[in-house]
Amino acid sequence: MAASSSTSSSRRADNGLGGGGGQQQQQQTAGSRRRKGPGALATAYLVLYNVVMTAGWLVIAVGLVRAYIAKGSYHNLYYSIEKPLKFFQTGALLEILHCAIGIVPSSVVLTAFQVMSRVFLTWAVTHSVKEVQTEDSVLLFVVAWTVTEIIRYSFYTFSLLNHLPYLIKWARYTLFIVLYPMGVSGELLTIYAALPFVRQSGLYSISLPNKYNFSFDYYTFLILTMISYIPSKYITLLNPSTLEIQVYLKAIYNVCKSLCKIPT
Amino acid sequence: MKYYEVEILDGKTREKLCFLDKVEPNATVAEIKNLFHKNHPQWYPARQSLRLDPKGKSLKDEDILQNLPVGTTATIYFRDLGAQISWVTVFLTEYAGPLLIYLLFYFRVPFIYGRKYDFTSSKYSVVHLACICHSFHYIKRLLETLFVHRFSHGTMPLRNIFKNCTYYWGFAAWMAYYINHPLYTPPAYGHEQVKLALILFLFCQVGNFSIHIALRNLRPAGSKTRKIPYPTKNPFTWLFLFISCPNYTYEVGSWIGFAIMTQCLPVALFSLVGFIQMTIWAKGKHRSYLKEFRDYPPLRSPIIPFLL
Ligand SMILES: NC(=O)c1ccc[n+]([C@@H]2O[C@H](COP(=O)([O-])OP(=O)(O)OC[C@H]3O[C@@H](n4cnc5c(N)ncnc54)[C@H](OP(=O)(O)O)[C@@H]3O)[C@@H](O)[C@H]2O)c1
Repeated sequence: MAASSSTSSSRRADNGLGGGGGQQQQQQTAGSRRRKGPGALATAYLVLYNVVMTAGWLVIAVGLVRAYIAKGSYHNLYYSIEKPLKFFQTGALLEILHCAIGIVPSSVVLTAFQVMSRVFLTWAVTHSVKEVQTEDSVLLFVVAWTVTEIIRYSFYTFSLLNHLPYLIKWARYTLFIVLYPMGVSGELLTIYAALPFVRQSGLYSISLPNKYNFSFDYYTFLILTMISYIPSKYITLLNPSTLEIQVYLKAIYNVCKSLCKIPT
Repeated sequence: MKYYEVEILDGKTREKLCFLDKVEPNATVAEIKNLFHKNHPQWYPARQSLRLDPKGKSLKDEDILQNLPVGTTATIYFRDLGAQISWVTVFLTEYAGPLLIYLLFYFRVPFIYGRKYDFTSSKYSVVHLACICHSFHYIKRLLETLFVHRFSHGTMPLRNIFKNCTYYWGFAAWMAYYINHPLYTPPAYGHEQVKLALILFLFCQVGNFSIHIALRNLRPAGSKTRKIPYPTKNPFTWLFLFISCPNYTYEVGSWIGFAIMTQCLPVALFSLVGFIQMTIWAKGKHRSYLKEFRDYPPLRSPIIPFLL
């Protein structure tokens, strides 16, 4: 790769989104940033951020449980946690910023994709299409997100403090097996449920003629979004080169090892 | 004459791929690549990257064995660059694609805008002008690739072409769809806007061409030398006083002109994406100029004078 970029870079600069030299250099700078790690101030801020986010998602979890107990039914729980859900899910946008300024060593693009897809679901689907708010599929992804995020943010918090309890590490890399498909199916079912209403109302759609000479069909966009779930989710699950999966496999291995009580 | 022994190892696995005894001391890296190719027919020379250090820089084809920092037994590491594709194929597909795709929309071939519009033509003159400008731009690029540019490499990795074609073809289709649409809305400020945009577009096309000529003249035919470009007698090249890659600046300018002329949002987006991409490349080129030439003019910035 390195060689191909150095040969193709400057000239093939030209062509398209080229992964030429520029990209390689960026990776290198990101790499050197990574080695340094965040400074004391950044760490303090990150701890604060992650504590707040953990607490926020705990509030959502408690809200869900209380509403369920009060109502005795799991339908329409969305309304009881709507506000904190919107607030804390939107707060995840800061994670993109963290990656962009380099205090968190993840890829900005990947993080942006992940966060944006959820913010999109929160605002552009669930908030905007009132009719889907009563669907049970909303609860499906809300529960999946809530559990995932409580684990994930507390994982970050404890990691930053260099005291990562084994339980949290285990939970992060194991519960994922259940939470991931649960979240994805909830999200897909919700978008699917929104389709007829979007088509009927022409929500967020722009049609010709207009002075910008541009049109947009939200209905088609939603269908494309649903299709895009297939490859991206499939890749995140199966691409063994992603760091996430490596850690994940290692964790599974550790679990097995501890279950077998291999004396060391 | 004392012969060299050259051992070629896989850059990743360190596995021994080939051993060449009796290599002449004045053999070039290109010749070593040919010898290696005989041993491993699947790796033709353009695919090979040879290095002295597995993580180091690739050796240049014209490097001479005895001038390299190696003993009489040289260990060279090989990296496969992947399938390569020749320039002819690259520009044909990359640039001819947008040219033809745009024309399909311009002539409103069937299955795009609905039956009753098949092969009709727009009542707005700006749509015809836009078609001329767009075609002109890509024909210019094709001709430049054929007759002006003196590239330092004959090939590029095959996988690049998929990415590049998706980008160029996709954007061309998206822009052409709206500009040639039966419901197209002409520019808000009418002829004035179109005239101004056309002037900007043509000015930038001439500028871009001038820079390409200037770059060509830096490099004698058949060589791969790289020099510092300086302003020439042609005033369009005077931008070299302030920036390292004025051809990119002019290119972005042309697209901005085209966006104003057609008043079409997708064109503006294409200009923006192109600008971001070219800024990244310009920064890379600027950096390598600074690294390569000590006396590089300090006033220059990569793509926008004094700013970027
Ligand atoms: N619309 C878009 O998105 C877009 C994007 C990028 C480019 N383009 C267009 O395509 C054109 C060509 O792009 P490019 O990236 O190939 O441009 P480039 O890197 O500036 O190179 C143009 C030519 O000049 C040579 N050259 C560059 N610097 C030189 C130097 N210091 N000494 C000697 N020769 C030198 C290059 O050879 P090497 O082979 O050694 O590099 C190449 O043959 C651009 O100017 C632009 O008009 C369009």
